[in-house]
Amino acid sequence: MKFLEMVAQLNTFDLIQIISWGLAGAISFYFSIGNARVWTSISIGFFLIFVSQAYGINPWSHYHKLTAFHYIVGTMAIMTITHGFLEYYVFCRTFEISGNKLIVYLITIGFLAASAVFLLINPTPSPNTIRNIKMVENAIWVFLSIINIELIRKIYSSIRDSDISKGFIAFGIVFICIFVWRGTDLYLQVFQWDQDWQDIIALMTEENSDLEDYKGRVQFSREVVRYAGVVSGLSVGGVFTYLYTLLK
Amino acid sequence: MFLLPKGSPLFENLAVAKLKLPDILSKLSNGSFTGYANFVFQVDTAILVFESGKLLSVLFEDKNGMRESGFQALSALAELMVGTGSGALNVYKLSKDLTMCIHALMEGETLCKAQDLKLIDINALLKKIKDDRMNGCLRIYTDEHSAMIFYKDGAPLGFFHDGANDIETSPVESQKIAGLPGAKIDLFSTQSSDELMGANLLEFTNIQKIWDSCVALHKAIIDKSNTERVERDRKILAQQLAELEEIVKSIVIEYVGSVGRGIVDKEISNNGGNTCLGDADRTKKFMAGVERAAKLLVSGTNNKVMMEKLSSALTVSATGF
Repeated sequence: MKFLEMVAQLNTFDLIQIISWGLAGAISFYFSIGNARVWTSISIGFFLIFVSQAYGINPWSHYHKLTAFHYIVGTMAIMTITHGFLEYYVFCRTFEISGNKLIVYLITIGFLAASAVFLLINPTPSPNTIRNIKMVENAIWVFLSIINIELIRKIYSSIRDSDISKGFIAFGIVFICIFVWRGTDLYLQVFQWDQDWQDIIALMTEENSDLEDYKGRVQFSREVVRYAGVVSGLSVGGVFTYLYTLLK
Repeated sequence: MFLLPKGSPLFENLAVAKLKLPDILSKLSNGSFTGYANFVFQVDTAILVFESGKLLSVLFEDKNGMRESGFQALSALAELMVGTGSGALNVYKLSKDLTMCIHALMEGETLCKAQDLKLIDINALLKKIKDDRMNGCLRIYTDEHSAMIFYKDGAPLGFFHDGANDIETSPVESQKIAGLPGAKIDLFSTQSSDELMGANLLEFTNIQKIWDSCVALHKAIIDKSNTERVERDRKILAQQLAELEEIVKSIVIEYVGSVGRGIVDKEISNNGGNTCLGDADRTKKFMAGVERAAKLLVSGTNNKVMMEKLSSALTVSATGF
């Protein structure tokens, strides 16, 4: 019941974004099951993005620790994806394939459990702390998106005449979208123009915001965040579907 | 080599490949053998003349008609016995006197060589043989026929001619050959059989050493030949494997792209070099490795077709190794 109320409260854009990430997560997870070990990290990472984005429809999201956990999962998502692309790049250079899927699953679950324990043994995070965690998440996303674009470029140049090479061009486009999405969000956070900061200062401090002075760019940036988020989610789902057809 | 009377055969057509020269000589020597041993190879011949167990003379004739005697002849015979898998040994017992004549024929003093019968006074020559109480052999021959008259103390012991097995008492055949156009004679003389007793080649020849050195030399030649053959085979195999490796690479590159070369190199290295392509178990591992890597780069359909092509190429090539 509470879940339906939360869904009803979401605006259409946020709902589309969550649904698109849900589809992308499902496709990527399915992809990880039926494919080679190197794809596991990449697929799990994209699935974890959905988990991190799902806080909007989580009926218990008013628990701050749970909200913080969503953001930590988001951070782990990009780290797992980057690890996957790094492994793929290493494979392209050395043709070495090591490890197995189960270990990747177990390590990911282990990290998630450790993050949960970290939150449980620490005080309940304040809205400001949660915002800080979110900002760290965005910073890591922006930085690792750039790294991934470079890794994808190198992977593509190594395997440009193979069946799957076009799939990496698609991944490059995905990370450009993600970079714009997360980068713009980080931009708003760094200049304290994000909604979370506005909520915090409205309730807890006497601090004033200069948001009104830059209303145009703030509004534009917020639109970019919304659209880029949706496009990112849709593109991830599309890329995995495309990869599936390439590797069939 | 000229034909000799057979006397009493002790052994005939013994396979030389199973015999050792020191053993044969030792046996004949210890048995106080008198006569000759005739080694017949495909194109070479050797005759060893014994008198009461003493090796009086050895004559070796090769395929070009080149003759050697004494130590060189023994060495040549030993080399041939060690080196060839064929050949037969015949041993014939003769009387002392006839043995002496055979010795004369082989190593005696040549008094007359290739003399045209028309140009010499044959009666005078026969008178001289008689008067000088000569021991030896008179050979009368044309291009097609040959006959020998053996003498002891100037008196004929017997007559021997081509086509006969043994000494004859009749001079008819010898006279027939002497009457043929172009007939020639050789006259060889030697010491009496009693005087010959003093000589024994076995006393100053270390036949065991000759034999051992021939065996060692032959073994060295065989070893060298084997080494060369192994090296040649290894080179051929290496070339075949290198060609197969290129075929494998071209197949993988066709489906996976240029990165396929690296994948093949890596899997070959992981499986102990390109020899893995000629070994069933390692080929299996190699194929599994290539398939695993290709799964990351090509579609399942293409991967399947590529593996079938690879399997076919490797199966066809494996029959050549």
